[in-house]
Amino acid sequence: MLARIPSAVLQGVIGQAVDVEVHVSNGIPSFTIVGLPDTSCRESRDRVRAALLSSKLPWPDKRVTVNLAPGGLRKEGAGLDLAIAVALLVVQDELTESAVDGCAFVAELGLDGSLRRVPGTLSLVEAVACDRVVVAADAYAEARLDADQEALCAPTLGELVRYLRGEADWVTPALPPPRELPAPAEDLRDVRGQPLGRRALEIAAAGGHHLLMVGPPGAGKTMLARRLPGLLPPLDRDAARIVTRIYSAGDFGVPTGELITAPPFRAPHHGATMAALVGGGSRALRPGEISAAHGGVLFLDELGEFSPGVLDALRQPLEEGVIRVSRAVGSVSFPAEFVLVGSMNPCPCGNAGGPGQCRCSDAARMRYARRLSGPLLDRFDMRLFVPRPTAEELFRGEPGQPTAAVRERVLAARRRAGRRGVRCNSLLGSAALEAEAPLAAEAARMAERAVASGQLSARGLQRVRCVGLTICDLDGRAPPLRGPDLALALQLRNNPVWLDRSYAGSHVA
Amino acid sequence: MSRDAPVPPTVGAALPAGGGSSGADRRTGCPEPGGVAAALLPGAGSTGSGEEIERPAAGFGAPAAGPDGGELGDEAYLAALASLAGMGPARLERLLGRWEPAEAWECLAAGRLVEAATTAGVGERVAHRWVRDAARADPAEIHSRHRRAGVTVTRRGSAGYPERLTGDAEPPAVLFGQGTPEVLECPTVTIVGTRRCTRYGADVAFDLARTAAAHGAAVISGLAVGIDAAAHAGALAADGAPPVGVVGSGLDRIYPRQNAVLWKMVAQRGLLLSEAPLGAPPERWRFPARNRIMAALGDACIVVESHADGGALGTATEAARRGRTVAAVPGPIRSPASAGSNRLIAEGCGVVCDIEDLLVLLDMERARLPLRLPSPDTRPASEGGAAADPATSAAILDAFDWMPATLEMLAARTGIDLGELSWHLENLNVAGLLARRGLWYERRAEGPAGASPGT
Repeated sequence: MLARIPSAVLQGVIGQAVDVEVHVSNGIPSFTIVGLPDTSCRESRDRVRAALLSSKLPWPDKRVTVNLAPGGLRKEGAGLDLAIAVALLVVQDELTESAVDGCAFVAELGLDGSLRRVPGTLSLVEAVACDRVVVAADAYAEARLDADQEALCAPTLGELVRYLRGEADWVTPALPPPRELPAPAEDLRDVRGQPLGRRALEIAAAGGHHLLMVGPPGAGKTMLARRLPGLLPPLDRDAARIVTRIYSAGDFGVPTGELITAPPFRAPHHGATMAALVGGGSRALRPGEISAAHGGVLFLDELGEFSPGVLDALRQPLEEGVIRVSRAVGSVSFPAEFVLVGSMNPCPCGNAGGPGQCRCSDAARMRYARRLSGPLLDRFDMRLFVPRPTAEELFRGEPGQPTAAVRERVLAARRRAGRRGVRCNSLLGSAALEAEAPLAAEAARMAERAVASGQLSARGLQRVRCVGLTICDLDGRAPPLRGPDLALALQLRNNPVWLDRSYAGSHVA
Repeated sequence: MSRDAPVPPTVGAALPAGGGSSGADRRTGCPEPGGVAAALLPGAGSTGSGEEIERPAAGFGAPAAGPDGGELGDEAYLAALASLAGMGPARLERLLGRWEPAEAWECLAAGRLVEAATTAGVGERVAHRWVRDAARADPAEIHSRHRRAGVTVTRRGSAGYPERLTGDAEPPAVLFGQGTPEVLECPTVTIVGTRRCTRYGADVAFDLARTAAAHGAAVISGLAVGIDAAAHAGALAADGAPPVGVVGSGLDRIYPRQNAVLWKMVAQRGLLLSEAPLGAPPERWRFPARNRIMAALGDACIVVESHADGGALGTATEAARRGRTVAAVPGPIRSPASAGSNRLIAEGCGVVCDIEDLLVLLDMERARLPLRLPSPDTRPASEGGAAADPATSAAILDAFDWMPATLEMLAARTGIDLGELSWHLENLNVAGLLARRGLWYERRAEGPAGASPGT
């Protein structure tokens, strides 16, 4: 006796179609799962048995072999439970083959026969090779989101069998009202003072430039960073589909009702491991925080406290917008295009940057500086010193422009960038930049001085030009870049306080 | 010559007994606790264990020293003696008070342990190690190793020995040098300070050293991190007198490692001096001894920043004892890094408040050489492009008060757009009307860079 039921398993964020084949023959009662199942997959046997028995359905006391095809693909998770159970019912003639024809099953089983959602339902549903997919009731909204397949759901295994036998009609649960992920409620209007910080946020949002904020504790670095997602344009449809799948697969929050279009804001703690940040894991290859921040903002608070290895792992995705995770069990790519916002203190005591406030020794400051590698620092187009606001600014300062007004300028600047064929200016190649961002004579002189004095490398100049172009776009002007554009871009590329060694011995080389 | 000091540490005993203030340094300066214990109980030590030790030492000792004794100069024996572990200037001085260098080496190489221990005022354990090492070492080889490394070995009283040290109370018996000894014919100033310096201290040290060097005074410092490094960097940044580094370790043992570049540049362009031979590790007791050489070599000694118990205070004390001018740079009274230097001022030493003070101290105020600083760009900023608006520039300059200000502060005061403001600041900076340090801008009193100071 043989039955074949389609289902799917998750690989990274992509679903892979899997056929569950069950063969029952006479012999000593046994139950074997073959086809590279992992532990949670192998435990299916006990869940399925209990679920069948508590649903008053028979369990075959025979020799049962379950094959998960294709056999070379590793299967992870409990999402094949329901397919195995249905296949067992078919081989025992509890269900006819025609009843399950053209129908796939993706759900985990509880011991009481209830159906449960599996991570990545969205990707799994679109991966199966048939028109109808049965999922758990709590995954129904997610399954309907973006797939061509028709989604069906049932609360329990017993109910499902009645539906399939035609004894009852399929029940479609009411879709929950669209519940957006918590949208950034913070408005730029609440920020007092910080004119430069505010401008830097605007430029970062418009040009997709990575931003490093250095400042004493309590200066408002986190407050500024939290206001960046509100300035970003909503995700376009492609990005929204990708982000929704990542959230679904990585369990960063179950999407409901509709695609995620608000730019994500992820702020992992500095204790994050490599796998948590870039994705991976020893068995299941999960997307990491950088993929969850796709299309939005990855905010690394206290950048200096992250382990250096973890930080340096960011370099490749920052360049390519994709992270390739390779492990013994396989290799997957996750999208990871985000605006990186880092924040750190200027020194261990946190007070450097003002005259006569820091009490750290040179050595301590240098040790602190060494936590951020040069190549990573180089990825930040803007390095901003965020000073503590003065009492004057806090109590009498005028509220700044609201997020909505700034966002209008950002959207206009992005449209200008779009005419150059990129989503934002930071993606322009050096040749394109050369053509798109010519320097006016006075700006060229200034750039030459900056390079000649060693303040700027050749690569640094490219990035400064790129930021200057974004400033131009925000002002609604066409290139060439004027002196003020480049001057501001240079101001925003200050070396962090601790790298400014204009006095110490090490610069005499 | 005799065991005159009650406390036998290497360095301290050779220094005049009056220097109470640097007593702590001397106590830490003892390299051999075992040696101290043995020296305090001379009777028991010499008869009991002496015989046992002497026998194997004599066995090793015989072949090494004999053949080349006649040909080698005193330098070779001095280098070899200084290479022995725990051989500080005081112990070496006592040995040389009784013997010629060759004789002293002969005594050790021949294994005459008790005699050497009594003369140097060390315990038998130290003397035993000397005897053992002397038996294995070859003065000729040690000397040629220095020659190969380009390190000069200068005996006290010989031609190349620095004049300022000749008349000193505690002159080193031998000096190891690398670079150009003629540097010491310039006027000299010793600039020292704490390793745990603040940015203020490092900035001041850099500026003072640069000005001193530009005016032709050789800057002497210790190549430690902090103030020392800033002083050396400042001296190297000027196109003037080259710097002198006096270090505590052997000239091949760069310490601290992070100053390696600075160390090599000082050796290349100026002079590196040490009392320790090649291979000598940077032991703690060597640094107070090194300080006395820095104090003796400088015509003046300036303490830029020093903690309340800093080693720089020891250098200042040594300088004062030698009749050198001692001055300190005042610092904030709340800054621990300035506690020691401020106390020096309270006790009546000179004060360096600006560059002029330094030149007065050095008796160079009439020299007024044009300050030869490399000037990066003297062309006007707006050359070949849109000029900065003079009215805006004036408004920006007016917005400065006596404190430095950041871009944001100026933006708040003037209300000028950030981009325009950055652009004008940049132009004013290039024009020499502003100085920029990190994020902070301040007005320059003296006008464009490259002009003579104070005129």
